[in-house]
Amino acid sequence: MSASYYGRPVVKPHVWKPYIPLYFWIGGTAGAAAVSMALERAKGNDELATVQRNVALAGALTAPVLLILDLGVPLRFYAMLRVFKPSSPMSIGSWVLTAFGGAIAGATVSDVLGAKPLARALEVVAAALGPVLATYTAVLIADTATPVWREARGELPFVFVASSLAGAGACGTLFAPAASARPARRMMTAGAFALAATTRLMEKRLGRFMAEPYRKGPAASLKGGADFLSIAGGVLMRAGGKKTVVARVAAVCVIAAGVLERFAVLSAGKVSAGDPKYTVEPQRKRADERASADAVRN
Amino acid sequence: MDTYQDPAAARKGFFTDTTLCIGCKACEVACKEWNQLPADGYEYTGQSYDNTGELNGTTWRHVAFVEQLRGGASNDPHDGVLRPESGRWLMESDVCKHCTHAACLDVCPTGALFRTEFGTVVVQEDVCNGCGYCVPACPFGVIDKRDTDGHAGKCTLCYDRLKDGEKPACAKACPTESIQFGDVDDLRRRADERVAKLKADGMYQHVELYGRDENDGVGGMGAMFLLLDKPEVYGLPPDPVDATRELGAMWRAAGYAMAALVGATLLLSAGGRA
Repeated sequence: MSASYYGRPVVKPHVWKPYIPLYFWIGGTAGAAAVSMALERAKGNDELATVQRNVALAGALTAPVLLILDLGVPLRFYAMLRVFKPSSPMSIGSWVLTAFGGAIAGATVSDVLGAKPLARALEVVAAALGPVLATYTAVLIADTATPVWREARGELPFVFVASSLAGAGACGTLFAPAASARPARRMMTAGAFALAATTRLMEKRLGRFMAEPYRKGPAASLKGGADFLSIAGGVLMRAGGKKTVVARVAAVCVIAAGVLERFAVLSAGKVSAGDPKYTVEPQRKRADERASADAVRN
Repeated sequence: MDTYQDPAAARKGFFTDTTLCIGCKACEVACKEWNQLPADGYEYTGQSYDNTGELNGTTWRHVAFVEQLRGGASNDPHDGVLRPESGRWLMESDVCKHCTHAACLDVCPTGALFRTEFGTVVVQEDVCNGCGYCVPACPFGVIDKRDTDGHAGKCTLCYDRLKDGEKPACAKACPTESIQFGDVDDLRRRADERVAKLKADGMYQHVELYGRDENDGVGGMGAMFLLLDKPEVYGLPPDPVDATRELGAMWRAAGYAMAALVGATLLLSAGGRA
């Protein structure tokens, strides 16, 4: 047991409201949907491409609302675009989200106005930004002093990508006609299994001690729900996904799994920052090792 | 000399010598007064004389009280062992470290947090939109979002007073010069001398100068502390790191994940429109 000051936290837990984990899922799903949109468009599967564009558009329109609602001074949301700061993942994310939203909305409007070449070009722009939108949030939380996020900096982007892939696939499955939705159903199934696998890998890499916040307390039930629903969704899809009803139920499971996983990550972050042992123990070990190395050298 | 603005001032900071702290909390009060920060309320923590608890958006100086009645690293005054002759009472006035590599400043998306001409880190309250990113980013848990007006707050090293050539309110109020203000270079020299003297005197088993090392995870601190026990005993992280140091590796990992996303979508889409 490491020493502490009355068991008080050393670092501050994040102060984000539930808008933020919800945004993480919505933004990621919109990003992956844009990638899927561009590929389907290139293949000539316009039906699915347009559905995925609408999914991306819905995400791009909802995202800023959620982000602004979370601000301490919402009326100053425009300050996010006051500077471009490469050292701040949130600054990069704000610009990417703005450009993504502009491209997706522009593509939709261009299509309505009949400007097809412009619509296609803007779709390509959105598809290029999509992967950044799906992963920057992982970099954003890893770039903090929150132990379970920082120590999982190599794995978090893959967890978020898996959830985004599953989310976009599930939305495509729900909203596209079954005849054209096969790629979406495959994305959903693969994403669901990848989500279960990547979270497992993340916990393994964190190690027994550092993964504790995911295994007990409030994050554990969220994570348990995410694991169950992602595997249930994936298995359901493999077993009876040819039936539209089964596929839709699976899609709902997978969407819920992705959302729960984001909430689990935010919750585990709060727990790990709130207990000083997760901050102090690894740092004490590092400091002692360095001190003994210095002692040997001198 | 004709420069269109003042030449950069020397880096300013604090050296907090905890061997001189008497726990009067004049620094806390002076800070609240000068910076017009709201009171924390009258809550008793039962943790020695510390009813302030922590640094946050409206508390920019915090005096820690550590009761060690067994001479070890125990904080528990209620362990049933009362041996006053072997006990001691540690006090330390904590404050923002004004890091050389400040994570809060790095991650701030609006530019509200900036580096002043004194080498300090300050929030521009009229720019901050309260996104809250700096809060989990700080490796010391110093900066916090305030409920009152929604934006982030922390020690400014009394930026307004410094501009007028005054020392910060806490250092001015400190009756024992436990809080010393000055040029960081001078303070480092002074702190080194003090540590050497204490070690030569041999009165304390453990004397540690916290924040002095420019090769630490934050590139050295503008506020240093002479500690008589391990940092974690005072609630300080033993080996703080500016998370932004690994930002390149984080984006690299994200890059692989982006490639995986595109690759997976391509592969899965190849199934055609059946």
